[in-house]
Amino acid sequence: MRIGIVCPYSFDVPGGVQNHVMDLAEALIGLGHEVSVLAPADEDSTLPSYVVPAGRSVPLPYNGSVARIAFGPVSTARVRRWITRGDFDVLHVHEPLALSLSMLAVLSARGPVVATFHTAMTRSRVLSAAQGVLQIVLERITARIAVSALARKVQVEHLDGGAVEIPNGVAVAKFAGVEPLPGWPGECSPGADGTLGFLGRFTEPRKGFPILRDAFVELAEQRPGLRLLVAGPGDRDDLFDRFPPGLRDRVTFLGLVSEADKARMLRSVHLYVAPNTGGESFGMILTEALAAGTTVVASDLDAFRRVLDNGRAGRLFPTGDAVALRATLAELLDDAAQRAELTACGDQVVANFDWPVVARRVLEVYAAAIEATDGRVIDQEWVGSD
Amino acid sequence: MPGMWWVVGGTLVVALVAAYLIWTAGRVERLQARAQLAARALDAHLLRRAAAAAVLAERRYGVELYAAARIALDAQPDEREAAENDLTRQLRAVRLDPSDPDCEAVIAASRRLALARQVHTDLVRDARTARGRPLVRLLRMGRGHTWPRYFDIDDPTLTVPAADVPTR
Repeated sequence: MRIGIVCPYSFDVPGGVQNHVMDLAEALIGLGHEVSVLAPADEDSTLPSYVVPAGRSVPLPYNGSVARIAFGPVSTARVRRWITRGDFDVLHVHEPLALSLSMLAVLSARGPVVATFHTAMTRSRVLSAAQGVLQIVLERITARIAVSALARKVQVEHLDGGAVEIPNGVAVAKFAGVEPLPGWPGECSPGADGTLGFLGRFTEPRKGFPILRDAFVELAEQRPGLRLLVAGPGDRDDLFDRFPPGLRDRVTFLGLVSEADKARMLRSVHLYVAPNTGGESFGMILTEALAAGTTVVASDLDAFRRVLDNGRAGRLFPTGDAVALRATLAELLDDAAQRAELTACGDQVVANFDWPVVARRVLEVYAAAIEATDGRVIDQEWVGSD
Repeated sequence: MPGMWWVVGGTLVVALVAAYLIWTAGRVERLQARAQLAARALDAHLLRRAAAAAVLAERRYGVELYAAARIALDAQPDEREAAENDLTRQLRAVRLDPSDPDCEAVIAASRRLALARQVHTDLVRDARTARGRPLVRLLRMGRGHTWPRYFDIDDPTLTVPAADVPTR
């Protein structure tokens, strides 16, 4: 199949949507399809061979953060040319409601269009103010995909339509065989030591770092060898100020890590802790920790419960409860058999999130969109599901 | 010469209104056509699922499932939704083994049917919204087509034991 994918945000900066688009494109190419990705990027930046740069992007504040996007007459001309030359069987756009290449592509498209919605914008000025204009964009979309239950809910409640829920994929192979950091994770003998991990912005309240900190401080008194590995953006001194002086040498801060180091970091701990208090729509980091073969302890959020298969693939604790977290951590650090059981289950669960599996489900949506555009049915073999 | 400006202005307004009407008519036409094509695809997937279920019933599960599949295949348009729901219920009642090719065919057909149903529902909704607009009704645009109709059936997705199958 010839597939054209449009990414609204520039590949020059890392981001969730960009990673998603790249992993999806690579998985589809791996399944034997022809893929071209159109994305804003400078002509001279180094890009994977399947990416077509659509020129400079401009920073625009969008949905609480800054997105680098391209929009305007020049971009329109480039999008049109790319679509004409590509002669795609299906066009797959991401975040079509942002003023971006994606929206331009939807408006220029003739054939079947599949759109993926990533963000769970619950209250957007754009959505409520411009319903009539959005309808023109939306009615050109043949099939919609939402990456999480929350994103799907927005579709149903605010955009008056359904969507197929297909979760974010995770490149299991990139996480599974990686070497841990030297000297990590160390021993984990009952009542003595063990290693905990946290990844994310520790200053952001909804990431719940203070809950993990409280649990760690208490638990470290009882377990003399307990260590904590923290990765993510933030200031080193700011982090260490949060711990009593006696415990500071048992906390290690990696700072912001690359994708490759993220995998190593996840493999360097006995327990990965996700103490988030809300605002998670999917829980990508949990699938990554599961892919790395690490035992996961997470707060009992809806999104986390779904990923962890109701606690079968990782332990859940009451959201925001540091005491319960400490008890859970102590129990799991003492019980290697239970950790092994959870990770074995985690392997099964994460297999459902592996990119080739997810890409096959996306291909079925492509097939549905093509069928709904020309009324003929595509064979299962051609979709590649068997 | 103010008279000439009236003529120019009037012509411009008429041209704009005409352009808008032509565009709207095209839009309604396009959405109608698309809803019909989606209905054809949905029909094909319903037939495929019923056929796959009939094959499976002949080999493994016997009379009740076979009867439900036959009834779904032969149903008249006004009985079809009920017949398809009945088939979904029958399929849910039997234990499907994903490693068996006939079972897998039914599971895959149900999955594709679920997608076709979702797309069809969305496109029918778009078409109905377009047809329902006051201007479109007033000028009776799209009257050459029947009013697009939902196909109201339960979600036909079959739940399969977790961990073996990529779909839920």
